[in-house]
Amino acid sequence: MLSAFARAFRTPDLRRKLLFTIAIMAIFRVGSFIPTPGVDYPNVRQCIAQAEDGTSLLGLVNVFSGGALLQLSIFALGIMPYITASIIVQLLRVVIPRFEALHKEGQSGQAKLTQYTRYLTIALAILQSTTVITTARQGLLFPGCGLDVIADDSVWTLVLMIITMTAGTGLVMWLGELITERGVGNGMSLLIFTSIAATFPTGLWSVAGGNDGVRNIIIVLLVILVVIGAVVYVEQSQRRIPVQYAKRMVGRRMYGGTSTYIPVKINMAGVIPVIFASSILAIPTLVAQFGDQSAGWVLWISSNLAAQDAPLYVALYALMILFFCFFYTSITFNPDEVADNMKKYGGFIPGIRAGRPTAEYLDYVITRITSAGSLYLVVIALIPTLMVVWLGLANQLPFGGASVLIIVGVGLETVKQIDSQLQQRHYEGFLR
Amino acid sequence: MSQCVRRRQAARGTRRETGLGTVSEPAGAVEATTAHGDKGRKGLFARIALFVRQVIAELKKVVSPTRSELLTYTAVVLVFVVVVMIFVSALDYLIGLGVFALFG
Repeated sequence: MLSAFARAFRTPDLRRKLLFTIAIMAIFRVGSFIPTPGVDYPNVRQCIAQAEDGTSLLGLVNVFSGGALLQLSIFALGIMPYITASIIVQLLRVVIPRFEALHKEGQSGQAKLTQYTRYLTIALAILQSTTVITTARQGLLFPGCGLDVIADDSVWTLVLMIITMTAGTGLVMWLGELITERGVGNGMSLLIFTSIAATFPTGLWSVAGGNDGVRNIIIVLLVILVVIGAVVYVEQSQRRIPVQYAKRMVGRRMYGGTSTYIPVKINMAGVIPVIFASSILAIPTLVAQFGDQSAGWVLWISSNLAAQDAPLYVALYALMILFFCFFYTSITFNPDEVADNMKKYGGFIPGIRAGRPTAEYLDYVITRITSAGSLYLVVIALIPTLMVVWLGLANQLPFGGASVLIIVGVGLETVKQIDSQLQQRHYEGFLR
Repeated sequence: MSQCVRRRQAARGTRRETGLGTVSEPAGAVEATTAHGDKGRKGLFARIALFVRQVIAELKKVVSPTRSELLTYTAVVLVFVVVVMIFVSALDYLIGLGVFALFG
């Protein structure tokens, strides 16, 4: 298996892709450390060191940015605005007919949608960076730390900081798109994976050092193993819809007459519903930073939407995962299109007529399979979250549940993609 | 004989889907469509029960991975995740030193 990793690096074009991806990840990390101009860096370091034991309301947002948020670095917002923007644009397709028309248009329409997503990302980045900087200026980013985080309070410095962070977000967005285009895996997921991977070991370390450290770390590692196993099991399971191709003569040659299947994964959406649901649920917490910390609605948000074990949070989280599961599946798999293609090439599902009945049957199967798949995703997303809360580790592993699932899911997706690229050359990858 | 082989290769070339699976359950489709037909006439609970039964019926047709496949995948994902974590942590440590030297 390890030799396969070495072989992946010996294949020229795959090596180029892997190195490219690694380089982008490195640039992403470097940017997460460079402080924004106007920040008093030594004070920030001191405050972070102090805040490590206390609870921070922004803890979960911080994990998604790979620790960059609290450092007030140029990549403080990370990939989150881009993710939020792409969710919004996809959701708007249902509401705005023009977006739907663009989507149906194919390549050029898709390019237009991507363009809108980018504009929206920048708008969100301006909004979020203003939030973060306002919080920092009021000294609320590190409650309990008296030091001044921003050296100079003048308006121009603040504007400069907002512009810098927004530009940083734009750069992160571009890095993500570069990975998707020229590297391996999905850029957006890989960058969030990198961010979580950066904060995860520290989290695990503080779990091991805390009360009941040995017991807790063993439970956490076991749960991670179980989650990996379960995710792998479900991702590899398929409902195979049989398809037969009619025999036909073209000239002297005989074509078709074969039988194959359409592989339908139980959970076609992957980890995206979890990423979407957790990023949307992180927004109220971010907004609450704006308000007066003792105001009623801020307190309500921090007790109901910021805590992972709050019943409302759990319920909303589960509902959103269910919704995004169906939503994303309906975006990625279009039964009408598949049925149409099958008809064109003389294929049919045994016992079902070609054309509309086939599309209806595919829709029937996918709705049922996705129902099971979305329930699985909810359960698997909630187990680690509830475990983290149950063990009282919410401070050390903020966002525990979602981050475990995102790491495993993105890891599996990326490995599979590398493997399929390897197989194009060598017939056997690491997943023998 | 050789012509026959060539035919099969030609046929393979026109395939749209991946994999070499064979038809396993032609009968399931028929049963499913009849169940689909009389959906609207029953009460809410009956319909939910029917839906659950249909979900279970579909799940029974799912092909799950073998034990060895499961183990390899789990191991590979584990190795990959650990490698990335070590890489990022090492990188973070180095960058942290550099940034501290510059700004600290």
